[in-house]
Amino acid sequence: MNSKQAYSLDELMVVEAARHISDWDTVMVGTGLPMVASLFALKNHAPNMCYVVETGGVAPQIVGTPNSVTDARVMHRAVRHGSLIDALGGILQRGLADVAFLGGAQIDRYANVNSTVIGNHKSPKVRFPGSGGANDLASHAKKILIITRHEKRRFPEKCDFITSPGYIDGPHGREKAGLTSQNPDILVITNLAVLGIDKTTGCLQVSGLMPGISIDQVQDNTGFELMSSADLSSIQPPTAEELCLLREEVDQEGEYMGSSK
Amino acid sequence: MNRKTANKVMTAHEAVKRFVHNGATVGMGGQSIGRCAMALTHEIIRQNIKNLTLVGCNLSMSMDMLVGAGLAVRTECGTGNLERYGTAFQWRQAIEQGRIQVEDYSHLAMASRFLAGSLGLPFMPSKSLLGTDILSQQINNENMPFQIIQNPWDTGEQVVLVPASKPDVSIVHVQKSDAMGNVIIQGFTTQEPEMVKASSCVIVSCEELISSDEVRKYPDRTTVPYLFVDAVVVQPWGSYPTSTYGYYEHDPEQVKLYQSRARSGGDDYYKYLKEYIYECDDFDQFLEITASRDKRMNLQDSMNKLM
Repeated sequence: MNSKQAYSLDELMVVEAARHISDWDTVMVGTGLPMVASLFALKNHAPNMCYVVETGGVAPQIVGTPNSVTDARVMHRAVRHGSLIDALGGILQRGLADVAFLGGAQIDRYANVNSTVIGNHKSPKVRFPGSGGANDLASHAKKILIITRHEKRRFPEKCDFITSPGYIDGPHGREKAGLTSQNPDILVITNLAVLGIDKTTGCLQVSGLMPGISIDQVQDNTGFELMSSADLSSIQPPTAEELCLLREEVDQEGEYMGSSK
Repeated sequence: MNRKTANKVMTAHEAVKRFVHNGATVGMGGQSIGRCAMALTHEIIRQNIKNLTLVGCNLSMSMDMLVGAGLAVRTECGTGNLERYGTAFQWRQAIEQGRIQVEDYSHLAMASRFLAGSLGLPFMPSKSLLGTDILSQQINNENMPFQIIQNPWDTGEQVVLVPASKPDVSIVHVQKSDAMGNVIIQGFTTQEPEMVKASSCVIVSCEELISSDEVRKYPDRTTVPYLFVDAVVVQPWGSYPTSTYGYYEHDPEQVKLYQSRARSGGDDYYKYLKEYIYECDDFDQFLEITASRDKRMNLQDSMNKLM
């Protein structure tokens, strides 16, 4: 990381994810990388974005790098501090979230997310932390952003357990299940590519490639067959200004992205 | 239990002895590394109260300790973790080894269960969980199956009904309370307002005991009035090593120490419980050996700068 222009794939992933947030969007944000990317959007191009934290903070003017959804940094100068019911019920389930932003342990062909178990639910091989607000975010938002590192084991054909709904089993999966948000855009932003839902099949397809990454590399790191969208794009690298903002203001100590550089 | 009394101030020892019983369902306050009721949790462990069912939205370090001490038989929650400090390791081990029962919810579904309890209703409709295995697991659950119903006014619309959760006792750490139990929570409130109102008994530990005059001067600041509260424990630093908004930040050093012991488990973990809980007479003694004066001042300063 000597040259100012050089960037890591993680930095690229975070900056690209942030580009899918527009100014004045109401965004329900999970913890970890979603927090970093949303914070970057807020400081870079979406100063009027309404950042909502599940713990109850609405439209904070975040300072520093928050270490938790309970951190005073992520609650700084908010217009309201409320409860989980206010945030996840009164804003998200109520239908006011333009964007929901989450992470995930496993994501399958239909963009269903597993953050609960590997193996059987009652006697699992590996137990993950669980849904948290993720199921609520994926159920109710108009647009769903998922950020995760691209590894084969994270992209199985079928999740061991569906914690948060994608398109469930096909183009009408959400409608059949009774979800209110029936046809949301879902974008999965990884360090290799951007995958989007093809609404005619309900399946993820490659819509953009990170600079220098080939479609074969993406396929090799994915556990199911991937189609590409007709307008497959090459993702723009971050500018020097964007990198500077990311490193010096958003993730100051490299706490969120430092480990994998 | 008598909530109609002007002075509910007592020690953590007395409050836990009176209100937390073997086999109780315990509502857990706080979230992740913020405002967990650590002093009250330590006291439950010292009194070795067993067969507990722990309920909440995010269950964190306090839940993990009760599981690690062998006192919990079941959890009902949305997550078991401390965000970037990792999962709740003792809880994870107990699940993977089949030592405890677990019921999964989303945070909104769990908060909706407390909302139902707080309104005196048997259940709450929810539009979360649809189409997922959280729902299919619960439909097959013999204890408390969820129901999916059709909206009576718009047939064809499916709605999930989640059962009310009414803890036998909730333990929460807050910023302020008066002696009567008029409680003020500042900053984020997670599921606590609903959970507290849904509970049969409530023990509150607070950073500061304030006068009832101050409560009456600004009544719109009261999060929960005295009608819901049974015991007030005055315990500054009562959520340490997790944070209390407006008072002090979390202590990364102590959180990491706990997490590393919880992850290794076995003797390492037992030593943590022994040194920091069993061999301490009370929470103040734990604070004396873990949080030096300098450390406390730093954590306070660092929070003050964010206000």
